[in-house]
Amino acid sequence: MFRILHDTNYDFIRWWKVMAGITIAFIVLGLGSLAIKAPNWSIEFTGGTLMQLNFTQPPDVGEIRSTLDAAGIHGAEIQQFGTPRDFTVRAQNAEQVAAQSKGAATIANTIESVLKKKFGENAVRVVRKEGVGPRVGQELKRGAIIAILLSFLITLVYLSIRFEWRFALAAVIATSHDVFTTVAFLKLMHLEISLTVVAGLLTVLGYSLNDTIIIFDRVREDLRKGRKESLYDTLNRSINETLPRSVMTHVTTFAATLALLLFAGEVIRPFAWVMSFGIVTGTFSSMYVAAPILLWIERKWPRKTGTRTSSSTATPTSRTRRSTATATR
Amino acid sequence: MNLKWRIAIILGLTAASIWALFPRTVVERVKRNGVFVYDTVRRVPLKRGLDLQGGMHLALDVDESKGAVADKSKAIDNALKVVRNRIDEFGVSEPVVQKAGNDRIIVELPGIDDPQRAQDVVQKSAFLEFQITDKTEALEKALPRINALVKDTRVNVASNAAATTKDTTTQGLQSLFTADTSKKTDTTKTDTTAAVGSTVGGPGAFSKLVQPGQMPGEYMVAQSDVDLVTQYLSMPAVQAALPPGKVVRWSSDTLSFGGRVYRPLYVLDAKPIITGQYLTDAKPNSSPTEGNLVEFTMNNEGARRFRTETGRHVKDYMAIVLDQRVMGRPPIIQSAIGAHGQITMGGKDLQAAQDLALVLRAGSLPVPLKVADVTQIGASLGKDSIHKGITAGVIAIVLVVVVMLGYYRFSGALAVGGLALYILYTLAALAGFNAVLTLPGLAGFVLSIGIAVDANVLIFERIREELAHGKTVRTAIDEGFRHAMSAIVDSNVSTALTAAVLYQYGTGPVRGFAVTLLAGIAASMITAIFVVRTFYIIWLNRSRSAQTSLSI
Repeated sequence: MFRILHDTNYDFIRWWKVMAGITIAFIVLGLGSLAIKAPNWSIEFTGGTLMQLNFTQPPDVGEIRSTLDAAGIHGAEIQQFGTPRDFTVRAQNAEQVAAQSKGAATIANTIESVLKKKFGENAVRVVRKEGVGPRVGQELKRGAIIAILLSFLITLVYLSIRFEWRFALAAVIATSHDVFTTVAFLKLMHLEISLTVVAGLLTVLGYSLNDTIIIFDRVREDLRKGRKESLYDTLNRSINETLPRSVMTHVTTFAATLALLLFAGEVIRPFAWVMSFGIVTGTFSSMYVAAPILLWIERKWPRKTGTRTSSSTATPTSRTRRSTATATR
Repeated sequence: MNLKWRIAIILGLTAASIWALFPRTVVERVKRNGVFVYDTVRRVPLKRGLDLQGGMHLALDVDESKGAVADKSKAIDNALKVVRNRIDEFGVSEPVVQKAGNDRIIVELPGIDDPQRAQDVVQKSAFLEFQITDKTEALEKALPRINALVKDTRVNVASNAAATTKDTTTQGLQSLFTADTSKKTDTTKTDTTAAVGSTVGGPGAFSKLVQPGQMPGEYMVAQSDVDLVTQYLSMPAVQAALPPGKVVRWSSDTLSFGGRVYRPLYVLDAKPIITGQYLTDAKPNSSPTEGNLVEFTMNNEGARRFRTETGRHVKDYMAIVLDQRVMGRPPIIQSAIGAHGQITMGGKDLQAAQDLALVLRAGSLPVPLKVADVTQIGASLGKDSIHKGITAGVIAIVLVVVVMLGYYRFSGALAVGGLALYILYTLAALAGFNAVLTLPGLAGFVLSIGIAVDANVLIFERIREELAHGKTVRTAIDEGFRHAMSAIVDSNVSTALTAAVLYQYGTGPVRGFAVTLLAGIAASMITAIFVVRTFYIIWLNRSRSAQTSLSI
């Protein structure tokens, strides 16, 4: 049989400090730029108007812009969308959103009529039109945040029952780490945060959690066997043992994500990007966030009934990581 | 579990899934030559969301800009019935009209191709009133005072103009006009008001804009002055100066005299002699003399009241006011009128008459509604999305199959068999639960094909470990499944919980995504744990030689 990364014995956790440095730098970079400039919320969240237009001839972007400016729609974002004949127009600044308080379609109708007048009745086709009032957007933002927090809470409870609270807490912290890295990624890639992207983010959380659970499941199993080894070693061994599985699952998931990224069209692309990044951050956090955090929790609140943990519980920095237990395998 | 039972369950599930997805004949409202008819069609019973089939989504809120509404929830309940009636008559295949939260109505119109008209039909208040024009020269009496007020506040008017024009352009019958006419006023208003600021003022600032018309209570305003007069009239001080018990309403039409275009303005008795609530029927019609019109019929009580009231007002002029606009020129009441009447459409096309008849039949909206959220997707975009989604899905399947076969060989083939059933079961579950397949849902499904084999991978890796520990093939398979179980259950249950939260707090497309995810999780657990295990058992039972080596 053909095997990859079989019977490995890498000391993954040893590098946790370096990895923590990298991920913190990444998060600080992403969230720092977030502080400078607000994220690219889609109109679903900010309110505003989105039009997807199909022209019979490739139009001049400047001409579209001047037509809209003349109609009093300033600061609209005009972007090519796929082919040179497809464009999206986004009007989502405060002025345009306020103008919608009487009816969400007003701006869209204006855009449609002035462009048709400019380019000809049949030269422009409205493929998609979205108008969202400001209230709807606020509700969605709140809904998304509630959804994430609630899913954390439920995970915490479920894992506390199935494992124990230390594992649950470590898993949830690792998952929240993924929220931050993914948001930083969205920001650095200038991806638009739409409802679909939020759904993607939640999928990433689920995926990352899966990964953490698979490793913790091994740890749980090994702990039950009552090996005489430190938690540090148990964690490392569990990561190594689940490594072939992790690689295979990431490969198949990435294959599906790649198919989405390349073939599913513009609308789905941001979602596919989030998912691609999610595979990376999910794997990373399972190894370098969940495991060190679990070790840290163990040291802070050692389990009382454990036969071996309280005395020899290794901290992430412990130099006793190569205990004799590894040799007994 | 007995092998026979296992096979029976798998075959049963598969048969049920195929049945659930089999194209079936349904009676449905479909479009034939531009009209909607009930007809039988054969189709795969998978519901596509608006983003995949094109159509329109509207969220309607109570419009409180005209005054607060005390019990919004009740008002929305009443409005819901009216909107539903109107949509049913409008002719759309499988429309959705439902209440969302306490104060919102969601309308979904799949496959619609005239969204603006649909929106007008939904949103029009259709509040019909019959009001007698003023005979007391109330406006003339108030003119000196209004003139004075207008003179004083000239500067204010100029600066507030932008805000007030916006108010007036979007309401009432104005929505019947194409959107770009109302927009044109928007774009030009800054120029008009700037010019106005310099010309108005001085004695008779208001009265010189308003000329008496041909009947009591009628006044003519030049079309170019309509915005300005509207602004003046909306000033609180001017409103207060108007005589009590009277209201001022614009006509829905314009008139031409000597090359100039005028819009009539009417002063009416505020108390309507009757309202549209007694209406039982309304039909569009067309007459050579009056153009397109809507004929209406009142019920017995309405007819009785109408007869008494019109009898009292013989020789008076009666304005037919729809959504605060006077329809046509008020006719003189010759004698008491009974159950029938008509509304002239003044030059608008027959479709406008049809739509008006429709909304009058369905009843007036108890509260004004405004569109809080609109999404409109062309049918071609939906087709394109489905096409791309399926392409991505096929490619994802091919890639996953190649990876699984290449790495796990025979066992990989079993997993691929499981994957085929996974796809079948998931789609069947979506069809069975009447879930709506959206574009994010489709993306989630494609993604799930990659994730679905995770359970297989977990099991296969365990089996490999057991084999490495020197166990026999049969034991290794048993142990592999047994040990992988807790990880599979825990990871899938926590994902399912996340999906449930998404479903609860998501809207529209995201909900579709959550449903797809949930169906996928269930199907992947069944196929990986149960189906693939059964495949192994069949294989172990069939060939004796298999006991010694396993291709994994």
